Formats: sequence, structure tokens, C-alpha cells
Amino acid sequence: MEPHVVSNVVVVSIVVAAAAVWWAARRSPFWRGAARDLVRRRPWALAVVGVYVLVALLDSIAWIGPGTRPRSVVDRFFPAAFHERSYSAPLARVEFYGGAPLNHPGRHLLGTDILGRDTLHQMLKGARVALLIGGLTSLLVIPLALLFGVSAGYLGGRVDAVVFFLMSVIASIPTLLLLVALIMVLGKGPVQVCVALGLTSWVGFCRIARGETFKLRELDYVHAARALGVAEWRIVLQHVVPNLAHLVVITFALTFSGMVLSEAILAWLGLGIDGSWGQMIDQARDELSRDPAIVWNLLAAASALFGLILAVNLVGDALRDVLDPRTARERL
Amino acid sequence: MLAYVIRRTAYGFVTLLGVLFFLFVLFFFVTTPEDMARRALGDKAPPEAVRQWIVNHGYDRPLPTLLAEHYRRMLTFDFGRSDADDVPITKRLREGVGPSLSLTVPLFLLSLPIALGLALLVAFFRETYIDRVGVVLCVLAMSVSMLLYIIGGQYLIGKLLRWFPISGWDPNPAVVGRFLALPVLIGVLAGLGSQVRFYRTVFVEESGRDHVRTARAKGCGEGRVMFRHVLRNALIPVVTNVVLDIPFLFVGSLLLESFFGIPGLGSLTREAIDGNDFATLRTMVFIGAMLFIGAQIATDVVYTVVDPRVRLE
Amino acid sequence: MLAAACTNNPYPDADATRKLEYLAFSAPPKTLDPAVSYTTTDQVVIGPIYETLLEYHYRDRPYRLIPGLAAAVPQPEERDGRIVYRFHLRDDLLFQEDACFAPRATRQVVAADVAFSFMRLADPLVNSPVASFLSRIEGFTAFGERLAAERARDAAFAAKPAHEQYAQLGGIPGVVVRSDTEVDVVLTAPHPQLLYWFAMPFTAPVPWEAVAHWDGREGRDAFAEHPVGTGPFRLAHYDKQSRIVLERNPNWYGIRHPEWRAPGAVDPTSGRPLPFLEGVELRRDRESIPAFTKFLQGYYDMSGIIEESFDRMVKDDRLSPDMAARGMQLEKAVIPSIFYLGFNMDDPVVGTAAGERGRALRQAMSLAIDSREFTRIFQNGRGVPAESPLPPGIFGYDADYVNPYRQIDLERAAALLREAGYPGGIDPATGRPLHLTFDTQDTTSRGLLRFQYFANMWRRLGLDVEIVATTYNQFQDKVRRGAYQLFMWGWVADYPDPENFLFLLWSGAARSKGGPNTANFADPRYDALFTAMRDRPDDAERLALIRQMRALLETECPWIPLFHMEAYTLMHGWMENVWPMGLSVPTVKYVDVDAAMRARLREEWNEPIRWPLAVLAGLAVLLVAPAVRTYMRERR
Repeated sequence: MEPHVVSNVVVVSIVVAAAAVWWAARRSPFWRGAARDLVRRRPWALAVVGVYVLVALLDSIAWIGPGTRPRSVVDRFFPAAFHERSYSAPLARVEFYGGAPLNHPGRHLLGTDILGRDTLHQMLKGARVALLIGGLTSLLVIPLALLFGVSAGYLGGRVDAVVFFLMSVIASIPTLLLLVALIMVLGKGPVQVCVALGLTSWVGFCRIARGETFKLRELDYVHAARALGVAEWRIVLQHVVPNLAHLVVITFALTFSGMVLSEAILAWLGLGIDGSWGQMIDQARDELSRDPAIVWNLLAAASALFGLILAVNLVGDALRDVLDPRTARERL
Repeated sequence: MLAYVIRRTAYGFVTLLGVLFFLFVLFFFVTTPEDMARRALGDKAPPEAVRQWIVNHGYDRPLPTLLAEHYRRMLTFDFGRSDADDVPITKRLREGVGPSLSLTVPLFLLSLPIALGLALLVAFFRETYIDRVGVVLCVLAMSVSMLLYIIGGQYLIGKLLRWFPISGWDPNPAVVGRFLALPVLIGVLAGLGSQVRFYRTVFVEESGRDHVRTARAKGCGEGRVMFRHVLRNALIPVVTNVVLDIPFLFVGSLLLESFFGIPGLGSLTREAIDGNDFATLRTMVFIGAMLFIGAQIATDVVYTVVDPRVRLE
Repeated sequence: MLAAACTNNPYPDADATRKLEYLAFSAPPKTLDPAVSYTTTDQVVIGPIYETLLEYHYRDRPYRLIPGLAAAVPQPEERDGRIVYRFHLRDDLLFQEDACFAPRATRQVVAADVAFSFMRLADPLVNSPVASFLSRIEGFTAFGERLAAERARDAAFAAKPAHEQYAQLGGIPGVVVRSDTEVDVVLTAPHPQLLYWFAMPFTAPVPWEAVAHWDGREGRDAFAEHPVGTGPFRLAHYDKQSRIVLERNPNWYGIRHPEWRAPGAVDPTSGRPLPFLEGVELRRDRESIPAFTKFLQGYYDMSGIIEESFDRMVKDDRLSPDMAARGMQLEKAVIPSIFYLGFNMDDPVVGTAAGERGRALRQAMSLAIDSREFTRIFQNGRGVPAESPLPPGIFGYDADYVNPYRQIDLERAAALLREAGYPGGIDPATGRPLHLTFDTQDTTSRGLLRFQYFANMWRRLGLDVEIVATTYNQFQDKVRRGAYQLFMWGWVADYPDPENFLFLLWSGAARSKGGPNTANFADPRYDALFTAMRDRPDDAERLALIRQMRALLETECPWIPLFHMEAYTLMHGWMENVWPMGLSVPTVKYVDVDAAMRARLREEWNEPIRWPLAVLAGLAVLLVAPAVRTYMRERR
């Protein structure tokens, strides 16, 4: 299947899933209250995260025509051949070097890079990569981690011993080294980076799921359900997993920024994903020593990255306060 | 107590064996010795040289033997030779430890008191504007990529202000300080946000506890309360945090070292990445894991000594 | 205290007035074994350590060979249907002092050491990258094969030190040691370029003691890390990750025998005896920008110009006025080199198998690539646009030659694409733009930009070129399996002869056979012309053959020649007697510095800006003061 078709399908499934989760959550007073509280506490940060998500989703919906290559909704905000020959400053009318007139004078809000590509356009496209890194990885990892964590916590005994051992093995390798080793062995590419990031963040989710399941298992209503002869898998699905959800949400928010920041470092090591802000920063960092310095690329990518991480950090903090005041001490 | 220490150490050792197995799968199964040889010798190498390389590096034996050998060598610290240039890895490690430590020890010793001091300051003024501004600043500082701290710091302090050499290294004691000043400064700044925020949380939580309230009720000054009661009782989480940071002293800061050209273990790792040097990379991962496990054991033991209530579940 | 400690001088203050040359290196040397080393950094280090039998004249252009360790440049003589070069070594040459000669400190350099070097080049275990170039020496290739066979047959033989193995096999028949100072090199077929190999460290005499002693076991260095040579300098400190120091070698013949006034031991312009420097200090700077900044601060003596600062350094192709005011000098030289985009001719779509269609496709793609624009964007215009593989300064280069397929002509390209059966770039088989892959092994994000530039150019034709940045390993694997279509490659001359460029498309050097012909171009007409051209002296007939080869390449278009590298070298005013060489040839012994001037200017240029320190201190006081006040108030 064509990549853009896959991407479209993924977007649709994400939107459908999000709607389903929203509908399910609305029925629970706990989640409804939490959502209201969150909006009250961090309206701006939430809005910023929302904008990033929107841009990423819009950039993931693409179709062919007019023309021969698929273009996304975001691409369609920009004219078709919206590039210059090389650097131009924000809103400039001529090229940065040589002063030749531009194809689109005064229309590059944030200037262009060495290949003449519009910086704003690239910055917007970076949102998709960042959310792919943080979001998609988590979406893949959370079910797996839940599977391992919950079965370890619920079944205990040998299963728990094995899972706990696996967790301690992975957790005892310093994160950056593990990431590097994995990508070196697996090869470069977006999937490999996501797998590597997934493996390193897996432990965090798994540990929380396991610990919480331990506690939930001993609760009265679980005992009661078991006494009533409810099937074990139904107990897990109905009583355990829903009660883990808030912790998963918190962990997700806190892990997300870590993953996006890790990718920036990987990009600098030459192991990152094409089109990420980390790559943009890496490509632009040497331009500071041009004379006069070219800063718009670096600043655009850095502020886009900074904005997302800041907003996610703020939302994550608020989420933790709202959903689970007890774990305020936990540092991830 | 002793039994506990022994049990904890034994489990740590078993974990290390697990790490070694994981590394074996990664480095012998997913990439084959043939791959490694080709990377080291280039594709012009005749098959004979490739075979010779595989034999020289001992990769030609059947997998079970390789596995046993892998365990034996790693556990006896006989890391063999680098895949890239045939230098004994142990020699490299020995050369790299010095520069790494001379970067990370000052970094560690400086950032700990500064972070603790600032966190105490902020916690002291909790619920005031200082606290709120402080926390926001911390989150802001945490949201900046490490790359930007380094790029910006190097540009501003090294290039524009000319305070220190922008990069480089010379172990000569007459000049070594000049090279370390800038990376240490940047390292301290970059780590401050998350550290201050963490310690502040600990302190604020601690100062809400009963015994602190009692002390305050008895008329102790707030400053005295902060130092005598809060700081002392918050030591456990602080110690955990500090001990778990220690492995990174050895592995060094990969970014700082390679940006500033300090030939420590971090640079060695960077080198291994660039040169597709799997033997070195494998060793670095192993050492990182070993130190981390060691530090964890140490923390747990310290816990039980400091606070008899804490026991491993 | 901090203010006082502020200095950006990376060197000990005591070195300020010594006659040292300060240089930067980015990647650590791969190996210091002269039989293997091929990278620029390797050559910078071992060049001054391993002196060669012949060397290039420092000033004369076109390049001219002069005697080095040899007393004279030998002429080929014909004997019994073979071609013989007879080398006379100077007598009383010594190796540098080294522990491998224990109990003695050193020993004389003899003809057998030259023979030993050649045997190492032939040895498959040494894996020299140049072994295939020397195959016309009698019995050279066979010697390597015999070694391999004997090692496979007899484990006891294989366990012996290399020099004993070589001796047991009786050496290479074509390298005959006649006496301590006389060695014959016997060729089975003419090889006019042979003498150039004697000006490269590959053939420098190597003492067998060093190879045997420095075996990398029991704490001893490996020979690849411990050079033992005969040159004007020797290795004083080798920490390849950060610092390499060369110091004068008192055993060098120029220092021991100034009275010889040997051509390789005196400066050709002033006649002063060499070397001028006390030593060379090389510091590692992985990134080009910090290295360049340090150059501007006066801490490196010479530097290339980084892309980012080019416009500040150079105005109108000359040194900018403010740099000239600092006493800086600029040297420009075209490096005998070629950078090109290549097609894999074994590929069914772009290669020979596609016949006329493939040829038209290649020609169309060539017509879309603007190398002038490429050099302008990525190299500040440094680089001579290439029309054919031959760079300026090499016999056969023709400044007036215009390759009809190296013009930018999108209309003609579109017509050719139609001819190739891809109208508008659309592949009729899929109804989609023709999908091609461009394999690179540069995985850095900055490197990627360059490849995206080419992909964008081809997109204008409607072609869909995907850049596959693979790791080195994957790329090599693809090359081995022939699974690649487009690539970018560069070649820098080993020696100044057209053969060294045109063989890159000779089928005998095909990548599939382990040679550097990565395009796998194999055309019997070209091969015939090549073999005829190869062994000819530089005469009119050779020129005619080269023209024919050029015409063939023009239409077949296995490469899109991009540019010939142009090096801009900056040096500070205190550098004396520096002369650009182009070829990577050691010139350190000719270089001189004015150390006093350097020390003075460095101080002048690097006064730190201190006022922000005061501002910071003020801020800190402002921050802490309210806290201290509150605290004091409470205590009361």
C-alpha cells in the first residue's frame, strides 16, 4: 500500500479511537470531572497541544492530484512550487547570498533553508514527526506494557518473576546507550527509532501497570467478583484495566516529552528521523557561524520543539495533580 | 541485614547476566560477524581478509561457544579489541576514564549544592510568587533541548565572549581547567531545571509533615526548620537521585564530551557509533549497565541503613 | 578569580615561542601503517615520518619527481624483454631510534627494507588498498597468492612472523636486492606511472624489526599505531583521539648530513637546510566550526574555509580586506579530483541492460543537474564544474571542452525522457513517476541536504528519486549485491596521470571485482582505448585516445561529472614558505613560522569580554538578597 494511504488510514483510526474514548470517558464522572479540572487549570497549554495535534493530523491526510505526488492538507496551504534556490531571510524579497530576486518575494514568513525550502512549512511538518515519535510509539507500547504489567501483577508467581526480570534487565541499561545500540543494530529509519524508543519507555509503563495491579488485585470488589465466579479475563478487563487508565495517561504525558527530546539527540548522532525538528536543529546549528548569522531555521525548529515540550510538560503536571495526587513525588 | 545485602547483590548479578544475554542477541544474532567484518574492512576486502578478521576477533565459532565466550570475557573484563582499529578496548577505557571523570566530577559536585540550594530557596518561599516563578522557570528550562544549551552556550560564551576555548582537550594540568570550564558551566545550567523541580517537590512535601509542623509550632524559625528538619528528612529521595546519577559520571556525558572534544568515554561511544564499532559499543553498554546496577544495589543498602522501615519487597 | 582565569588559549603558555606548527584534524587516523593508510589524516601524520625513495619538487609545476632516499630518479631500462628500474639508495641512511632495534638504538636503511615493503604490499593479510596497482611487477600478485596458499596449507608457517614467511617464499621475483644500496624493480609490462608510487608512503622502507616487535600483543603497540620511519620527523606523542605531536628526527639524513645538500633536504628557493620547524602539534577538532573559530583566534596556523564563513573570508575571489588586514594569506588550488553522480550500469533500469532507453534516461538526468548551482549553494562556488572525468592539471584536460549533456536543458531532457519511454517522467508500467533510488552512506542530517538537492532537480523532470540514507553496512551490502541505482562518489588523484582517473570506468576495476569502478561501466570499446592509452607516454596519440574515450563517455553517460574540488587554504601572516601542493604530499619540512609574531597576535586577538560577568554577579545578588533579608528578619 502507498505510504500516504497508510497514513490516511492511521489518521482515520486515530480519530475514530479518540472519539470512542471520548464517548466512553464522558460516561464516567471521574473522567468528566478530571477533564473539566484540567481545562480550568491549563487552558493555554491544552490549546497549544491541540494545535500541534491538529497540524500533525492535517499533515497526515494526503492525496494525489493535481500533480503526481501525494500532498497533505498542510502542503496544500502552501503554493505548489513554494521554494527558492537557497537561503532567504524571513519575508525577504531577494536571496540571502547574491541578492537574486526570489520566486515568491516576501511570502516566506520564516525564510527558507539552504535548499530554498520554506522554513514555516518544514516547521509545521515537523509536528507530524514529533507526534509520530511520541504518540505512535506510546500507542504501540502501552498495550504491550499493559499486557505484561497486568499479567505480572495479576497472576504473580512465575509470570511476575519473568516480567520483573525483563524489566530490571532493560531498566539497568542507561537509556541513551540502549537507544543507540538498538538503532545501530536495527538500522536507521522511522520504524527502527520508534521501536527503540518503545523498548526504552516500555519499562516505565510496565512497572506502573504491574505495581497498580498488585494493589487492585487485593481490593474487595475484585475479590468479590472472583468469589462470584466471574471469569478472570473479565475481571481484568472490567475492574483492573479501567482503574489503571489514569496512571497510563499520566505516564504517557511524562514520557512523551522525553521521547521527543531523545529523538533530537539521536538526530544529532545521525540516527534520527527525517524531517524531525531535531534534524532541523542539527542541520541549522552550523549556520550560526555564518556571517551575518542565519538564525531563522534554528529558531523556528527550536521554538516549535520547545513549545510542544513545554505545553506537554505543563499539561502532564496538571494531569498528575488532577488524576493522581499521590504520585506527585514520582519523577520520570 | 547481611543476608539482605547478599540477596540484593545476587539479584543484581543475575540481572547483569540478563543484560549480557540481551546484548548477545542484539550483537551476534541481529547483526552477524560477517556484517561486522565488512564494516570494519570495507567492501574491497578480499573474502580471505574477511575470514581472517572474523577468526582474529574470535567470531568464527558456533553460537553456543560464542555465547559462553561472550560471558566469560565480559565478566572478566577482557573486552577484546575494537572492531574499528584493533586497539584493545580496555586500553581505550583506561584512557577515557580520566577525561570523563574530570568533566563529570566537577559537574556533579557543583550542580548538587546549587540545585539543592535553589530548591531550598524556592521551597522556603513556597506558595509565594518566588515559588511560582521558580517552578515555571524550571519547567521552561526542562523543555529546552540539551542540544540548544550546548549550541547556545558554545556560541555565546566561547565565541562571542571569548572566556574559554570553545572546545578541545589537553590533560596538561596547566591548561586542563580552561577546557573544562565551559562544558561544566553548560552542564550545570542544563541539568538545573529538572533537579531543582524534583528537590523542591521533595522539600515541599517534607515540610508539610507532622514533625515539621510541630517544630514550627514550637517556635523554630523557618530557616532553621528548613535546614534542620526538612533537609535532613528529605535526604532519602535526594540520596536516591544522587546515587542513580553516579553511573553517568563514568559513562560521561556523551553530548558534552563530543561537542567539546573531550576524549572521554562519551566520546569513545560517539566514536563507536560513527565507526560502526560494535565491540566497543557493546562494552560501553555493558559497563553502563554494570555501574547502574551497582548504584541501585548501593542505594537499596543505604536505604536500609538510613531508614530501617524501608525493606525490599 | 573567574575573571582572572578567563583565557581561551588551548596551549600551555610555555609553548608560545617555540617553532611549532599547529594544525587541526577532525577524524582520528585509521592506521599509521604506510602500506595501508589512505586517508588524508593518515597521510598528514605518516607523510613526514616515512620518507620515500622519490618525492615531488616543492615548487615546480607540472609536478616533477626528485630523489628522496634514492640518490637519483631512475630511468627504465629494457633487459631481456622486461623493464627494469634500478634504484640506488643513499648510503648512511638511518631509521629513527626505536625500541624495536634493541639492543641497538637504530640501524642502517638497506635495499632489503624496500623489498620488505613491497612484500607487505603484496601480502593479502596486510590488505593494502593499492596492491592491484602494482600487479605489473614481476611475480607480485603470485607472491601474495603463494603466501595465502602456504598459510592455508601449513599452520606452523602461518604462525611465523611475517618477515620469516616472506624469506621462506624467497620474496618477490620482480624486486631484486642487488646490494645494500641497490634494488631493481622488474616489470613484465610497461607502467610509466610506476615511479609515482615511489613518491607515496606505501613504498617507503619499513624495518622488519618494527613489524615483528610492534605486534599489538602483551601491551606492545600495534605497528599500525607505532610508525618507525626515516623521515625528518618522528612521532613524539600519539593520542589519536585528541592530540598528535611530531618532533624532529635527529637521524634524518638532512640533519645528519647537511653537507650532502640533497635535493630533498634543502629549500629550493632559499637553499636553507630543512626542516625549519621544531615539531608539529595536531589537535583533534571533530567539528569544523570550532576548528575554524580557533583558526581565526590564531590557535591553528592553517585552515580550509568552512562553508559558513566563506563570505566573510573571501570577497570577489580574493581575501576579504579585514582578513588581509590581519596579515592572513589565501592560497587557491584545484585539487586533481573528480566528484560525480554515478549510475550502476548493472541495473536493469538505468544500466546497460536497458539499452537505448537506459542511455536516453541517463542523458536526460544529466541534463537536469546544474553543478555550478550545486557548488554555489553548498561550496560557496568552490569547485570547477566538470565536463569529463579529467581535472585541470592532468594531461588530457581540455578547458574548452563542452560536454553537450552537461548543459542545463530541461526541454531536451524531457524529449530524451519521451524517447526513453518515460514521457513526463511517468513510467508506463505503473502509470506513476519513474521511481529510482539514490543510495548514500552519509546518514548525517547535513549530508542529506546535498542529496535532496539532486532529487529536487530530477523531480523537475517528473522523476521520483528516493534518497536512501543507509548505514555504511547496508550500503556496502547493496554494493556487493549490485542492488543500487544512483550514487555520488569522489576520487582524488593518487598521482598526476590521466590513467589514475580513466581507470575508474575500466571494466577491469569494476566494483563487482572489488575495484573502484562503482558504476560497473563495462564497454569493450572503452577498455580497448584504455589499455592502449594507459602505457603510452604523454604524446599526441595518447591525447587522441583520451579524446575518443571522452566522446564515448559523453554519449554513454555512466557518470554525471559534477566538479573538480578547489581548495582554498587560509594561513596566518606568521606562516612562511607555504606552497599549495594539491596532491596529498608531505610538505611540513619546508614550512616555517614566526613564533614571536604569532604569540603577540594571539594575545591581541583574544582579550576576553568581561562585563557580562559583573552583570551576572549583580543578578545573583538580586536573587539571593530578598531571601537573606527574610531569613535574617525571622531569626530576630
